[in-house]
Amino acid sequence: MSQIELVLFLESAVRLGIPLALAAMGETITERSGVINIGLEGSIIAGALGGALGALAFDGAGLGVMVGALAGLTVALVFAVFAIGLGADQIITGTAVTIGGLGMTGAVYQARFGATGTELSLPTLAPLAIPGLSDIPIVGSALFAQAPTAYVAYVMAPVAWYVLFRTPWGLELRATGEAPTAAEAAGVRVRTVRFAATLFGGAMAGIAGAHLALAHAGTFAENMSAGKGFIAIAVVVLGRWNPILVLFAALFFGAASALQFFLQALGFDLAYQIFLAFPYVLTLAALAGWVGKSRAPAALALPWEPHR
Amino acid sequence: MQLVNGRRLHWRIRPVVTLLVAGLVAGCGGESGEPSDTLRVALLTSGPVSDAGWYAGAYDGLLLIEDSLGASISHQQTATPAEFDEAFIAYASSGYDIIFAHGNEYQDAAIRAGEQFPDVTIVVSGGGRISENVAPLIFRLEEGSYLAGMAAAYMTESKVVGMVGGVAIPPARGTFVAFEAGVRAVDPEIEVLEVFTGDWNDVAAAKEATVAQLSRGADVIIHNLDAASFAVFQAVREVVDEGNVAYAVGMNSDQNAVAPDVIIGSAVIRIADAFLATARLWQSGGIGGAAIYANTEQDVIDFVFNPVLMDRVPAEAIERIASTKAAIRAGDVDIPRVVFVEGEDEGR
Repeated sequence: MSQIELVLFLESAVRLGIPLALAAMGETITERSGVINIGLEGSIIAGALGGALGALAFDGAGLGVMVGALAGLTVALVFAVFAIGLGADQIITGTAVTIGGLGMTGAVYQARFGATGTELSLPTLAPLAIPGLSDIPIVGSALFAQAPTAYVAYVMAPVAWYVLFRTPWGLELRATGEAPTAAEAAGVRVRTVRFAATLFGGAMAGIAGAHLALAHAGTFAENMSAGKGFIAIAVVVLGRWNPILVLFAALFFGAASALQFFLQALGFDLAYQIFLAFPYVLTLAALAGWVGKSRAPAALALPWEPHR
Repeated sequence: MQLVNGRRLHWRIRPVVTLLVAGLVAGCGGESGEPSDTLRVALLTSGPVSDAGWYAGAYDGLLLIEDSLGASISHQQTATPAEFDEAFIAYASSGYDIIFAHGNEYQDAAIRAGEQFPDVTIVVSGGGRISENVAPLIFRLEEGSYLAGMAAAYMTESKVVGMVGGVAIPPARGTFVAFEAGVRAVDPEIEVLEVFTGDWNDVAAAKEATVAQLSRGADVIIHNLDAASFAVFQAVREVVDEGNVAYAVGMNSDQNAVAPDVIIGSAVIRIADAFLATARLWQSGGIGGAAIYANTEQDVIDFVFNPVLMDRVPAEAIERIASTKAAIRAGDVDIPRVVFVEGEDEGR
């Protein structure tokens, strides 16, 4: 690979990694509070459609991202009401929310743009080069000449890490995920914390979806989330529930997808499925404890009722 | 979890699901006392019909059958292979005459449903398996993509062209093999790149696959995708906006109007016409035990230039493609294909 090709590959890797990073960052916070939101995919596709409709309505991609975040949050609210408010099984609720999200967005899209579809040309989020940083050889343009939503992910990683591990809020959040009953005894409002963490995760997934539609593809297509919500959940595991590691894990997944397109375009005739599978093998290894110490929050996915 | 009685449980649930779905279908139809001689036609797709391409064409076909033959129609989008059987059973058991299953992925479930319900006729687009009441509807899209390959060869300046596919199923690989042959028929020196993304609707993957080919110097890109094709057009548009010359080629439906600024032409299946012809064939009792072929000869398969960009196409290309189309119709062009239909050989 020549240097130009290496730069193009890295740019592609970051572009593919950013939506995963945004969604996985939100899911990290959600899971740290003891809630696993399998409905992330529903929030992403809602964010993509919300972003597209918002950008068209307000004729601006920036406001589109806001609408996308709101759409993702709304979907997460549905999940939270059932899974946290009513104590329903989180996996089943999340699956229903994903299927519902894919179906609803399809119905809205077809009602708005016709049953047989059309290519929408949306106002796009233009890449924003950061002076100085984007001139760094090889990695500069890949990391620092991206859409503004990419910088949300970069900034969010250390901020989320700090809040999670260095502030009283973070301690309360982690306590609800590890030992909700003990946290309740210490005066933490467990369900409020879990609601907030889940809605935050939904909003981030919505931004990820809006990024797909407005910064990456420049269009909306039904089912365009294509499983990214589930990949983001794997990214959280590989990143060991640590926002900074999650950012790197997301970029790694992005690099793995980018690699298969590049190798195919270079004419390597090999099974592309191997490259698709590779990051998941590593995720399994992470889960099995072969890649550093890794442990899920103790109360993850367990329904919880307040004791009064 | 109780998995001991999984199989029996399945059979107990099945009629309930079937009844539920049948009830829904009847409910949607509105009139429960429909005369039994009304033709009832159903369509199954495993992706959204809003792709302005492969699935959209099938949906248009369903509507055309409703308009032309006064049929009562229904469409379902199946999300997972597990739903294929249930969808077939739901339609077959509630009295549908023809089920169009629009994709190669339905072929095995269609055979199973066909055995269980001998009165229904199932037509599998791009299918490979045949029985008494299950017939593949084979679109010879190779003929259209061969012509598209010739067009691409005339349009490329860099002498590199690209193909971006979804999943490498035989009908999709077939269109790419033929495209490559079309390119080589004009200029054997041209390099042809191929990428499969593994997903028909993943726009992000399709975008990056296209960018990877454009950055390798390709300046004409054909796709075989569903909704993700929009990202191919977008990627080409971005390099055009940067002042380069590049084109996309549409596929499956006439996509020239989808992105008229970048699509030089489309390899077309007139899916709607083929569906209507197939429904008429059923009415005359002509379906069963054999594949149904739709090709250039019947004008179902075609290659059409985009009228908006027509002035950029060299006159030689237009003439040669027109004469090759005539030769294909006459059966005089040997187009390579990927064989996947039972009992079929390399020949026409």
